[in-house]
Amino acid sequence: MKFVDEFRDAELGQVLAGEILNAVEPGRHYKLMEVCGGHTHSIYKYGIDDLLPENVELVHGPGCPVCVMPMGRIDDGIAVAARNEEVILTCFGDMMRVPGSEQTFLDAKAGGADIRMVYSPLDALRIAKANPDRVVVFFAIGFETTAPSTALTLMRAKAEGVENFLCICNHVTIVPPLRALLDSPDLRLDGFIGPGHVSTIVGVRPFEFIPAEYGKPLVTAGFEPLDILQAIRMIVAQLSTGESKVENQYKRVVPYEGNPAALRAMAEVFELRPHFEWRGLGFISQSALKLSEAYADLDAELRYEVPGVRVADPKACQCGEVLKGVIKPWECKVFGTACTPEHAIGTCMVSPEGACAAYYNYGRYQRGRPAEEVAV
Amino acid sequence: MTTSPQPWGEGIGESDDCEEGHCITCGDVAEPLRVVNVDRERMLALCENEGGARETVEIALVGEVDEGHELLVHAGTAIAHLGVPA
Repeated sequence: MKFVDEFRDAELGQVLAGEILNAVEPGRHYKLMEVCGGHTHSIYKYGIDDLLPENVELVHGPGCPVCVMPMGRIDDGIAVAARNEEVILTCFGDMMRVPGSEQTFLDAKAGGADIRMVYSPLDALRIAKANPDRVVVFFAIGFETTAPSTALTLMRAKAEGVENFLCICNHVTIVPPLRALLDSPDLRLDGFIGPGHVSTIVGVRPFEFIPAEYGKPLVTAGFEPLDILQAIRMIVAQLSTGESKVENQYKRVVPYEGNPAALRAMAEVFELRPHFEWRGLGFISQSALKLSEAYADLDAELRYEVPGVRVADPKACQCGEVLKGVIKPWECKVFGTACTPEHAIGTCMVSPEGACAAYYNYGRYQRGRPAEEVAV
Repeated sequence: MTTSPQPWGEGIGESDDCEEGHCITCGDVAEPLRVVNVDRERMLALCENEGGARETVEIALVGEVDEGHELLVHAGTAIAHLGVPA
């Protein structure tokens, strides 16, 4: 497949790893954050961290929308599905096992709520058309990569006069949490691997504040192993010369100015929420989207009563520290013991894009501490 | 209200699980797909992956699309045009 095979060439990977080794300064530690959960997944799938010099450390950012979802929002979705028998709640597959305060979507489905998994908002709309006597609520999640898809589907529903299609909007935006991380005293980062497909939509320009205000480089990268290695090489090269700027490694897909049609669709359908709670990061101003005034009639949160209660994470769960890159997944007290992909306590273990699940699924937890049972 | 089924009967529709333990919709991940057919009036394209699995894709964000083109698709929406395979 074009743009895939040539970016998985093992020999070129070794060449890039050698170039990174030659570029790093001995005795200097390089702490780089990959913002996006998709990068985390690729890094552990392909063993990219094993190719890096010991003084280049990758920490995992908050770029998995499942992992940053607070428990209260899961409870809201379950409440809409369980209390209103006309509702069919639709969502992406990863949401099904994310723990709410008492249940997951899967538990609620087993208990009788009509909750269905879909691959796209368009599929949810198709279910609405096929079930005109029901109300289909799409539980929308995702960063700016996914938000245009929701926006286009809501525009399509309106244009086609589909009156039984609603949305619970949990879309989040990438820049505010990055600023929150940079302002956090917990974490000292040297540079960022920028999110590839979010940048396809928003472009590279929104990240220029990172070098301008914080003096750190950011390189937007693709998701194949050579993409990520090349981005690391570009960041290390900047750090070696004392530069800090935004660069675009993923030019084959990411235009510097983003996708204007997608940005227009988002501007029509969404507006910024004043604040939104992020798991592990707390409330961040203007970091999430809700439906705009023009689309308020499609807003399930206005049509149905939602609890809207803030729920604290389980005490043993350290997803917050993992999401901020303060600790490695295997340093969490319950990693691989009480918390596994089969029985996840924290969201980072639920999503394949979550840092904990990526470590666990690719066998990299063995480098961690000895397994021991920890009470939850 | 429109109740007629999709003219493209081959969309993936309701899913049972994420592909290969990797959810393409929530990890900023997109899949390259080849265009099989285009409905320009509705701005939809029927696309297939290397394995032959087909889905209906929104094409409003990627300009001119024709049969044989490759698109980068995320959550049922083409977010980038990858060109025409050689």
